[in-house]
Amino acid sequence: MMKILTPTLMLIPLTWLSSFSHLWRPTLSYSFIISTLSLTWIKNMSETGWTSLGLYMATDTLSTPLIILTCWLLPLMILASQDHMKTESQTRQRLYITLLIFLQLFLISAFSSTELIMFYIMFEATLIPTLMIITRWGNQLERLSAGTYLLFYTLISSLPLLVALLMIQTNTGSLSLTSAQFYFSLIPQHNFLWLACFLAFLVKMPLYGLHLWLPKAHVEAPIAGSMILAAVLLKLGGYGMTRISTIVDPISKNMTYPFITLALWGVIMTGLVCLQQMDLKSLIAYSSVGHMGLVVGGVLTQTSWGYSGALILMIAHGLTSSALFCLANINYERTHSRIMYLTRGLQIIFPLMAIWWLSFTLANLALPPLPNMMGELTIIVCMFNWSWWTIIFTGLGTLITAAYSLHMFTTTQRGALPPHITSLTPMNIKEHLLIILHLLPLLLLILKPEIITCWSS
Amino acid sequence: MNPITLSMFTTALLSGTLITLSSTNWLMAWMGLEINTMAIIPIIARKHHPRATEAATKYFLIQAPAAATILFCAITNAWMTGQWEINQMSTDLPIILILISLAFKMGMAPVHSWLPDVLQGLDLMTGLVLSTWQKLAPFYLILQLHSTHSLTLILLGTMSILVGGWGGLNQTQTRKILAYSSITHMGWMLVILQFSPELTLMTFTLYVTMTLPVFMILHQNNTLSINKLPILATHTPTISALIPLLLLSLGGLPPLTGFIPKWLIIQKMSHLGLFGLATITALSGLFSLYFYLRLSYISSITMSPSSNLTTATWRLTPNSIPLGLKTTIVPSMMLLPLTPMINSLLL
Repeated sequence: MMKILTPTLMLIPLTWLSSFSHLWRPTLSYSFIISTLSLTWIKNMSETGWTSLGLYMATDTLSTPLIILTCWLLPLMILASQDHMKTESQTRQRLYITLLIFLQLFLISAFSSTELIMFYIMFEATLIPTLMIITRWGNQLERLSAGTYLLFYTLISSLPLLVALLMIQTNTGSLSLTSAQFYFSLIPQHNFLWLACFLAFLVKMPLYGLHLWLPKAHVEAPIAGSMILAAVLLKLGGYGMTRISTIVDPISKNMTYPFITLALWGVIMTGLVCLQQMDLKSLIAYSSVGHMGLVVGGVLTQTSWGYSGALILMIAHGLTSSALFCLANINYERTHSRIMYLTRGLQIIFPLMAIWWLSFTLANLALPPLPNMMGELTIIVCMFNWSWWTIIFTGLGTLITAAYSLHMFTTTQRGALPPHITSLTPMNIKEHLLIILHLLPLLLLILKPEIITCWSS
Repeated sequence: MNPITLSMFTTALLSGTLITLSSTNWLMAWMGLEINTMAIIPIIARKHHPRATEAATKYFLIQAPAAATILFCAITNAWMTGQWEINQMSTDLPIILILISLAFKMGMAPVHSWLPDVLQGLDLMTGLVLSTWQKLAPFYLILQLHSTHSLTLILLGTMSILVGGWGGLNQTQTRKILAYSSITHMGWMLVILQFSPELTLMTFTLYVTMTLPVFMILHQNNTLSINKLPILATHTPTISALIPLLLLSLGGLPPLTGFIPKWLIIQKMSHLGLFGLATITALSGLFSLYFYLRLSYISSITMSPSSNLTTATWRLTPNSIPLGLKTTIVPSMMLLPLTPMINSLLL
């Protein structure tokens, strides 16, 4: 673990001590090196499932893909924010990068901790850097209320989780994940305990109905904030649910019904919201809520297919939605508007960007052979096995997802240019690189999908 | 104020508390409380300003009847049971009356409303003494009394957490906000007092650690209303960047120092099976987090190049950060990794 955490920590002095003209390049290249190093975790030779086992940290087949995704996202965020930060002063640019680095530290610690209480602390610790990024570097005044929503939704739902965890600790004397199978019979199975354990993660996912903070945060956040929020922070919820569901297992059979129903209902509702959305970032945010609804459904069925489908979809959606936010930001930096009807027909000006838009639209609507499709299909099959009726929701949801994704593509890319757009700066290499670095892992993953399927080798 | 006079009053202030802390007899304890009150009143009124005089008068008017009630109850108790021992109280009426008058002395809800008003008239360093040191002696007395009336203590504590958060929501004066923040923290201490006095002591220590730099920063820059908070950014940019962390630490957000007391208090309650109480206290702490969050928005989140909320003053040379502030600001944010050590030191 220290192999990754120490270099990440040392990125902070690098950020503050390197000269201003060389601020972005070294941080970018070093964070790339760190993300390359993190790939070594894919090789999991252990028979217990846990590898890199230390006193407090370890990774297994569930957390490895998420940690690697976190490491992968840091250089991409640095790459994407460079233009956004151009007007800021030196110190603030350094502070911004430092916050991103802290976020990576906290996220890696959260995903790799073997103690639930440490996971809880790190889960909460990610709030402060996210809050700072959104409220300090967002654009509109509404960013403040978005920050408040983010903080209070998370805290109100997660303080019961803290009490629940301490209750488990009182009864069993341990909160270790690695030895959960030995003590989990001692846990009092109670409906409130189940609810307290899951609510924090359901809000973080977010489940439809508890999702209001997410579109607000996404719309107001600067690009790096949106990227990390969509790609990794939401996945903390899915990760936490998968972990905790093994601990409070038996009671789940009865408690999951309303939540699975709500999640599937949410897939359709958010899809319909997306269809009438004018704000590009808000559309992508709502589409995230819909996809996460499928993940919630997959995890809550508590089958191995559900878990692996959820993990595949989380990784694929992380890369896809992050890339879509990047594309939306590239548009925004040129047109200074998120309204889709004011920025339509951009294919004529940016023909190459239209290809990226097309690829990620298709990824978002889960075109075969991409891992998005693999994840969705696994979850749909698993839900169908759980109850036949779910096929109505999942089928309809897939249809609507396809409809709004294509709607997003045709509105922003096709058709005539609006008269007020005459000349825009072309896309530069950096932006192409940014998108390619999102697309490549997505394409390569389908060649060896077993590394993100949560199956022990 | 003449330094000799000031040092005399300070000595009296310290010795008053110490007399209370070391007494087992109600008469001595009461005397310590009175010496302490008499010593701080000239310190409160040492700035010749109408508000300071007002604060001193209010403080006297509050403390005198509270102390009189304590004496009355002690005498009643002596009359009924024939002894003056603090921890030998056995009759209900004197205990409850003493609890309430001690809460009155400390400014716990529902008898808290004098505290923000008095604090508003003080300069910040005296305010610091008022919201930290002055609470020690009453807390010690409550600790001696606690065993019989757990429900009263829990009610006082949770109500203080709630009212402290609620009352701070619509304040615009930093001193009043700090007073409400003090009420909230006292609430946390009182809730856990009967279950684990060591945790109360730890919460108190950490509260002082966290609130000290806040008072120092505001004192150094003479920031009395929240409108003047953004100006910190031009005078002491580093401090202005750290203020959100300081305030969120006071609000108890992990991974900052302020989470330690919350965590350990909730843990203690869970060990005792009080899950409902733990959830209620944890959630009512969120009220005060709301105004800390708003303060941090104003102080350092909304500033250039975003549109400013206040007009900037003359840009003078940046203030240097005093050494005391430098040393206190670090533990006020970063103690969480040391939780096991703090735990084993105190428990």
